[in-house]
Amino acid sequence: MSSQPERSPLVAKLTRPVARPLAATYRWVDERMGISDLTHQLLYEATPRRGAWAYSLGSATLIIIVLQIVTGMFLLWTYVPSTTEAWQSLNFIEHHDEFAAIVRGMHLWGAYVLLVIIGLHMIRTFISGSYKKPRELNWIVGVVLFLLVLGLGITGAMLPWDQAAYWTAQVVTHVVDYIPLFGSWVQQILRGGPQMGPETLTRFFAIHIWLLPALLVPLIGLHLILLRRHGEHGSWVNYEGVETETSEVRADRMAHAEYPYPALPSDPGYAVPVDLDEFFPSQVFKDAVVSFALVIVIFVMAVVVGAPIERAANPAALNYVPTPEWFFLPLDQLLVQFPQAWMIPVGVFVLPGIGTTFLMLVPFLDRSPEREPWRRPEVMVPALFAALFLIFEALLAVNRLFNL
Amino acid sequence: MIVGINVAGAGTALLIAAPIVGSVLSPLFAKRNTPWVMVADISQVGVGVPTAYVVNLPVNEGWQVPPVPRTLYVVKLNLNGSVQMLTLSNVCTHMQCDVHWDLNLQQFLCPCHGGLYSIDGTNIGGPPPWPLFRYQHKLVGNTLYVRNVLTGA
Amino acid sequence: MSIYPLLAAASPKLVQVPISTGLATALVALLMLAHIQFAAWQQGGYIILAVTDFLGWKRRDERQTRFSKGLVTALGATFAFGSALAIFAVMILFLGLWGHFFVTLVRIMFWPLIVEAFAFVGEIICLYTLYSQWDRLSRVRPVRVGLELLLFINASIQMLAINVVSSYMLTPRPSNSLALNILNPTEIPLEMHRFVGNIAFAGAIIALVGGIRILVAKGREGRSYGDWIGHYGLIYAIGFTLAQPLIGWEYAKEIQLHAYAAWYSMMLGGLSVAFLFQVFLLGAIFTVGIFYLWRRVKLSGFRSPALAVCTAISFASWLLIATPSSLAWSYENVVAANANVPIWQGGLQIPWGEMIPFKLVALVAFTGVAIVAVTIYLKHVSNGELRWGDAGRGQAVALITVGVAVSLIMALMGYIREHSRAPFLITNQMLINQQQNFTAPSSNGPALNGPAIVSTVVPWERTP
Repeated sequence: MSSQPERSPLVAKLTRPVARPLAATYRWVDERMGISDLTHQLLYEATPRRGAWAYSLGSATLIIIVLQIVTGMFLLWTYVPSTTEAWQSLNFIEHHDEFAAIVRGMHLWGAYVLLVIIGLHMIRTFISGSYKKPRELNWIVGVVLFLLVLGLGITGAMLPWDQAAYWTAQVVTHVVDYIPLFGSWVQQILRGGPQMGPETLTRFFAIHIWLLPALLVPLIGLHLILLRRHGEHGSWVNYEGVETETSEVRADRMAHAEYPYPALPSDPGYAVPVDLDEFFPSQVFKDAVVSFALVIVIFVMAVVVGAPIERAANPAALNYVPTPEWFFLPLDQLLVQFPQAWMIPVGVFVLPGIGTTFLMLVPFLDRSPEREPWRRPEVMVPALFAALFLIFEALLAVNRLFNL
Repeated sequence: MIVGINVAGAGTALLIAAPIVGSVLSPLFAKRNTPWVMVADISQVGVGVPTAYVVNLPVNEGWQVPPVPRTLYVVKLNLNGSVQMLTLSNVCTHMQCDVHWDLNLQQFLCPCHGGLYSIDGTNIGGPPPWPLFRYQHKLVGNTLYVRNVLTGA
Repeated sequence: MSIYPLLAAASPKLVQVPISTGLATALVALLMLAHIQFAAWQQGGYIILAVTDFLGWKRRDERQTRFSKGLVTALGATFAFGSALAIFAVMILFLGLWGHFFVTLVRIMFWPLIVEAFAFVGEIICLYTLYSQWDRLSRVRPVRVGLELLLFINASIQMLAINVVSSYMLTPRPSNSLALNILNPTEIPLEMHRFVGNIAFAGAIIALVGGIRILVAKGREGRSYGDWIGHYGLIYAIGFTLAQPLIGWEYAKEIQLHAYAAWYSMMLGGLSVAFLFQVFLLGAIFTVGIFYLWRRVKLSGFRSPALAVCTAISFASWLLIATPSSLAWSYENVVAANANVPIWQGGLQIPWGEMIPFKLVALVAFTGVAIVAVTIYLKHVSNGELRWGDAGRGQAVALITVGVAVSLIMALMGYIREHSRAPFLITNQMLINQQQNFTAPSSNGPALNGPAIVSTVVPWERTP
């Protein structure tokens, strides 16, 4: 139980009439609900000491997802998912409701920042080898979360039903047509028919506001439960000397490991980080600072830049250049590089599918106990290729669209 | 008793899921009617000059909404001595972006991935796998009518 | 008052370039091809230096640290010679033989070239500091690695500036805005192409040196060191070459859209045979490289059926990609001979030599198989399963072959690139002959003020 700070006699005197009934109420509720036990369990666990600022990216992701849910909920107060009214409702926000416009801006920039932070979180856990046993499942859940967030990002982009949203929806729902055998059925299910219509918008609205979140939230819960079960892995800086320690020292460390360690089953020596710190207040402080900084960035971008809205959807446009969202640029570039008939499913489904599968199976491809990245060239080098691939494809797409 | 739990559980799930699945799949089974819509008088369209017309086609899916404007290109070509007319949809056959007739290139160009089509809609460059689709059309005198049925699709 | 008209009046010989255009072109080409080999080696070598020094520090690996020292010595020597070569080329050849072109170019690309000059100074400072203070800096390894990274950044800025200039010559924007011409359509693809290619080339040269050392080494220790150098360089060579098909495809697409005549010449016209040899070399790099990986692992006692399969797929892709699409020098010859049908029907076409989908499939196969092969190989390296010193003549020959192939492919690429633009020095704006701008559009032949399309039908795919 955290100790109360010393209160000055004056404060104690003034608050005594209020403090005692408050404390009594708290004790009454706590006896029946067990709040203090829960708080104790949540806040009092050990985390690795060194490199802890990097480990705050995960909680930053969580905070931004919560921000997305909250801002999204309040966008629902105005938005209408109808092909005639969607654009009108959002256009109204942009021009006549400054606060709602900021909420909308935070929702958009929150999405962009979320994707960046998820990427950084994924890169950090990859480099530190946090997917090694016993945390393989947590990595797989994390990849699925990443895919869900991508799905949320692209379905959200379709909702304003302005030119950008309409053509994004048109192209994305047409991509599935290239699935062999039943592609056109999937297209019709997504669009509510062979062409774009009112049901397209309502279906994507439903997917965005409840179907994907309904999958996302329990998986986030699972991700956190698994994290709590095994403890934060940290990185190689938290396991110095582990390779050369004697078995007595190792046994001693294992025996005196604080909750939630030891993370079993684990490679020998890596079940408990060498140097531990407290989650509360150390890690919570770092998490709070990082999350705060990111929310400041989102807020500033929402106020200064805001969420643009283009002209209302016009399917008869002749000169509009449909441009995908930045996080889909690599896939769009693949569409240029795999032309004609049967090559298109290869470029759009097979190759990204293989890439995602390998991403998911990383814990099974790298089973060595090594934690230092420069001793794991067999994962670092392909990961470098994958990262370069994404950057190159995005740059090439930007270059192509800029020079049209 | 275990069997009873299984049967009751499966039954509940099935009764809830069946209509839901049906409603998700309903677009596959819906009937769609495609009435003829008047475009314009096309007697002024020159041979070899693709001309864009906007036609408001009714949306034949879901509930009643205002008709959706679509662009079609009327192309008159001199083939083997006679003049043939094509009504090309401006929807790219690659990813359904908007195609336009580029005066510099003298070809149909799709800006999304650089697809190129010749004047009769044949895909001659870039990723598009098929030629531009054509609207079913009929001429009543000099007036063009189309319906929302695409051939070549 | 300009002295030029006085000299011209006195004697035309004083103001004319003393040699023919053809000879001037050849001289510049030779110098530039040599310069590119040096410059690419420098730039790629710097990042390999930084990475190796870093790894040697973190892994406490003696061999990598020793190699870094050798590498910085080599880079210092090649820099001294290479920059002298480049300065000679610019000062004497460009100014003397292509004066009008060069002055025009410098006027247009003034600021990028200023940036390049300053980056050059930065490179000199960083490189010579490293070269002369290597041992002293070994006491502060992070500073040394930082200096190497700074060196790489300087070289990259230089390359960026030069890429702006070269890509401008191929696809200039019809605009007076310098910003738009810096971001011209082929600048970013060229930048990526060279960035990746330089690292691959430096790796290939290192592999070549390793191979030679294996052959000439006197004892096991020397051979072991050569073995390690060769393997290390080859990983870079294959690893970075596998990104090239991706980048090259988009590069070619931009050329098709913005300098069509050049694209046509490379892919279907007069330079297509040279380009076919180019992809033949590419296939050689991949296949011989992956073959080396397979055999090297086998030599240390480990059988790897996966690597054998990779070699087989790479070899099949090599055969596929090196197949010409017709038995003629260019597409025009096929059309002129009315032989637009497959060989077995009496024509000149070979259907599986078509770019789409066959050569594209081969390119994708190369990239995929190379990633898999390098990953598997690195797993064996990481497990410590490779005994350095086991390599013999076969490995040395493979390494040398890859080194030579990469060097050749770069030289050939430069040749193809410059010739594809003919008859222009700057597409649509300056011809090689006379080095003057034409202002009046010509009614016959390609339009000089618009995209240079030689025919209205785009023969990308020969669809029936």
